Amino acid sequence: MTGEAKLIVQGLSHHYPDEYTGESVHALDNIDLQIHENEFVAIVGPSGCGKTTFLNIIAGLLPYREGRALVDGTEIRGPGPDRGVVFQEHAILPWRTVKRNIGHGLEIRRVPKAEREKTVQEYIDLVGLSGFEDRYPHELSGGMKQRVAVARTLCADPVIMLMDEPFAAVDAQTRITLQDELNRVVMATRKTILFITHSVEEAAFLGDRCIVFSRRPGHIKTEVKIDIPREDRVWKDMVDNPKFTEARDNILRLVRSEVTNDVDS
Amino acid sequence: MSTADSATIRRKSLKKTITDSRAIQLIILLIGVVILWSLISAIIERPDRYLPSPMTTLFSSVDLLKKGVLLSFYADTLNRLVIGSVIGIALGIPFGLLLGLNRNIADMFYPLMNFFQSVSGIAIFPIIVIWFGNSNTTVMIVILYTSFFPIAFNVLSGVRSVPMRYISAARTLGASRFQIIKDVLLPGAMPSVAIGSRLSIGFAWRAVIAGEMLAGQAGLGNMIFAGQELDNTAQILLGMMLIGLTWIMLDHFLLRPLESDTIERWGLVQR
Amino acid sequence: MTTITEFSVAIQRRFGRQRLRKFILGMIPFIVLIFVWHLNSIFVWLDPVEIPPIADVWGAIFWLQSDCPGVIAAIEGHGDCILTNHVSSSILRVILAMVVGVPLGIGFGILAGMNRVVSAYLEPIGVFMNSVSGIAWIPLAVVWFGVGWETTLFIMLNTIFWLLFFNTMMGVRAVPKVLIQGVQTLGGTRLDAILQVYLPGAMTSIITGLRMSMAFGWRALIAAEMIGGDSGLGFMIFVSSSEFKTEEVFLGIILISIIFLATDRWLLVPLEKWTIERWGLVWKPT
Repeated sequence: MTGEAKLIVQGLSHHYPDEYTGESVHALDNIDLQIHENEFVAIVGPSGCGKTTFLNIIAGLLPYREGRALVDGTEIRGPGPDRGVVFQEHAILPWRTVKRNIGHGLEIRRVPKAEREKTVQEYIDLVGLSGFEDRYPHELSGGMKQRVAVARTLCADPVIMLMDEPFAAVDAQTRITLQDELNRVVMATRKTILFITHSVEEAAFLGDRCIVFSRRPGHIKTEVKIDIPREDRVWKDMVDNPKFTEARDNILRLVRSEVTNDVDS
Repeated sequence: MSTADSATIRRKSLKKTITDSRAIQLIILLIGVVILWSLISAIIERPDRYLPSPMTTLFSSVDLLKKGVLLSFYADTLNRLVIGSVIGIALGIPFGLLLGLNRNIADMFYPLMNFFQSVSGIAIFPIIVIWFGNSNTTVMIVILYTSFFPIAFNVLSGVRSVPMRYISAARTLGASRFQIIKDVLLPGAMPSVAIGSRLSIGFAWRAVIAGEMLAGQAGLGNMIFAGQELDNTAQILLGMMLIGLTWIMLDHFLLRPLESDTIERWGLVQR
Repeated sequence: MTTITEFSVAIQRRFGRQRLRKFILGMIPFIVLIFVWHLNSIFVWLDPVEIPPIADVWGAIFWLQSDCPGVIAAIEGHGDCILTNHVSSSILRVILAMVVGVPLGIGFGILAGMNRVVSAYLEPIGVFMNSVSGIAWIPLAVVWFGVGWETTLFIMLNTIFWLLFFNTMMGVRAVPKVLIQGVQTLGGTRLDAILQVYLPGAMTSIITGLRMSMAFGWRALIAAEMIGGDSGLGFMIFVSSSEFKTEEVFLGIILISIIFLATDRWLLVPLEKWTIERWGLVWKPT
C-alpha cells in the first residue's frame, strides 16, 4: 500500500476509572498504527480488549492524554466530519426519512438543496436503497438500516471511515450480503477505512491488513497482510481461496491464544 | 477467595458511594434553597406578607402545634384521603372488570365514562355544594368522584391487555368461562389495578386539598386557605410544604413500591 | 323500502359496521340520561333548584347573553356578553399560559436533560413542584397577586411549566447517546444536536407533558377562578352556585368539559398519534 498516511497513531495509551470501583483500568497500551490512503484496516481481538475504546478515541468521542493521534496531519480533538463513524447499533435518526438521514451531514454543512439531493441520490443507488428514499427507519429491516448508516457516513465524504462492528446485530445471511456489498462500495469509492470486528472471518474477508489486539490492556499483537485483490473478494469465490483460508486460520489461532490465556490465569 | 471477597466489598462500596452522593446532592440542594429563600425574604419589603423567612415559617408550626390544630388538620386530611380513595377504588375495580369482561357493556358505557371523567371533580363542586351544602359530605363526594375514574379505566384496559394466548391456553386445558376469569383475567389485570390505584390516590389527594379549601372543612387545604384570609403567609407556606412532602413520602414509600412489586410479581405488563 | 336499505348500507360502508355499532351503543346511556332528566322536569321528583329542567339550562345561554348587542360585540368582549366573556377569559388565559409556559418548560427541560449535574439538582425541585399540586398554590398566589387574572394565570403557568419541564427533561435523558454521537461525527454542533436530536427525540415525552398540563392545568385554572379569580367559567359557576342558579352551573360544567374534551381529542391526541406512528417510536404508558 502506497499513498500518504491518513491516520497516524503514536504511543497511544488509555486509562479510565472503573465505573464501579473507581480504580484505574488500563485499556490501551502503547499503540502505534498508520493507515494509508485507500487502505482497509480491520482490527480483531477478544471482547473487552479495548478495540471499541480505540475507535472512540479516533472518532474523538473519548478524550485521550497519552500519545498522539493525527488525522490528515491534524491532532484529534473531539468529533469532526473528517472521521465518519458507522456505529454498531442503529444510530440513524428515527424521525428522518432515509433520504434526509443520508443527507444529514451535507445539511449540517449547509450544502444547497439541489446539490445535496443529487449527491444523496448517488449514494442511495450505491447502497441499493432506491425506492426506499422516503421511508422512515422503523419501516426498514436491520440490514437496510445499516446500509443507510453506511451511506450517511459516505455521503459526508470523510477522510477516513470508522466502522464499529457494523454488522454485529444482523442475521448471518444478511451479514454475508452486507459484507459483499461493502466490498463493492469500497471499490467504487476508494475510501480509507478502519473496521472493528470480533469476527475473524469478517476481518480476513474485508481487510487489506488485519491488526490483532491482545486482551486488556489492548496492544497490537501482530499484523497480518491479506494480499487478495478487492475484485476477487466475493464470498462465493473466497471460501475456496487458499490465501483467504490461510490468513483466516492464522488470525483465528492468534485470537484464540488470547482467549485461552484469559481462561487459564 | 480474595477475588470474590474484594468483589463483594467493591459492590458494597459502589452502592454506598452512589447513595452518599445522591444524599449529598440533596442536602446541598436543600441548603441552597433555604439560603436563596432567606435572601429573597431579607431583600423584599414586608416579608411577613409576601415571603416569610424559613425560620418564621418553622416557628409558625410551633405555634400551631401548641394549639394542637396542626396535627388535627393533618389527621383530618389523611382521613378523608384514605376513606374517599378506598371507597372510590372499591367501586371502580368491579366496574372496570365488568366493562373489561363484556365488550357490549364496555362499548355502551365507555363514552359516558369518558365524558364524566373529563368533568373534573373540582368543576362539579358547585353543584354538589347546592345539593349538600358546605359539608364534609360534599368534600367526600368530590374525592370519591375523582378517584373512581382512573382505577376503572385502568382495570378495563388491564383486563383487555391480557394476551389472547393465555386465554387460549386455559381453554385448551378445559377451563370454563368462570375459571378463565378467575385464573387468567383477574391475575392478569393485577398490575393495572396497582397502577390505577396509584393514579386514583394521586387525583384524590388534589381533590382533598381543593375540596377542603372550597367547602371550608378543617384540614390542610383549609389551613392554607385560612392563612390567606388571616394574612398569615407563614401558615400558607407551611401548609404547602406539608402537602408536597406528604405526597412525596406517600408516593415514594408506599404507592410506588406497591406498584412495582405488583408488576414484578404478576409481571404481565409489557414495558 | 329499497332506498332505506340502500341508505343503511351506504352508512355502514361509509363509517364501518363496528364503528357504527359502537357509536349507537355509546349513545344509549346519554339518551337514557337525558330522557330521565327530562322526566324529572315533568314529574319534579327533585326540585328544579337541585336539577334544573333541560330547557332552563339551554335558556341560560340566552339569558346570560341577553344584553349582548351581537356577535362582533361578543368577540370584542362587550361588558354585557356575560357568557362569551367568561368563556373567552378562560380560553385566553390557557392560550397565554401555553404560549409562555410551553417554550420555557421545554427550554429548561432540554438544558437540564443534557447535563447530568444540572438535572441531578433540578429533578428533586421538579418532583416537589409537581407534588405541591397547582391547587395548593392558590392561596399564596392570591397573597402575591391579589384576586384577579394574574393569580389564575400564575396558577396555570406554574402547573404547565413544571409538567413540561419534567417531561422534557426525562425525554431528553432517554435519547440514546449513539444518536448524539452520530450527529457529532457528521460535524454537527451543539445546536444541531439540540434541534435535530434532543428535541425530536423527546417529542413523545413532550406531547405527553402537553396532554398532562392541559388535563391538570385546566382543572387548576377552574379551581383558581373559583377561589382567586374574578372572571372565567370557574368563577361563573362558583358565583351562580352561591346564588342557587343551578341552570347556570350545569351550563358552565358542560362547557368546561366540552372545551377540555375538544382540545384533548381533536388537538393533542392526534398530535401524539402522528409523531408516534410516523417515527415508529415506542409509546410508554404513563
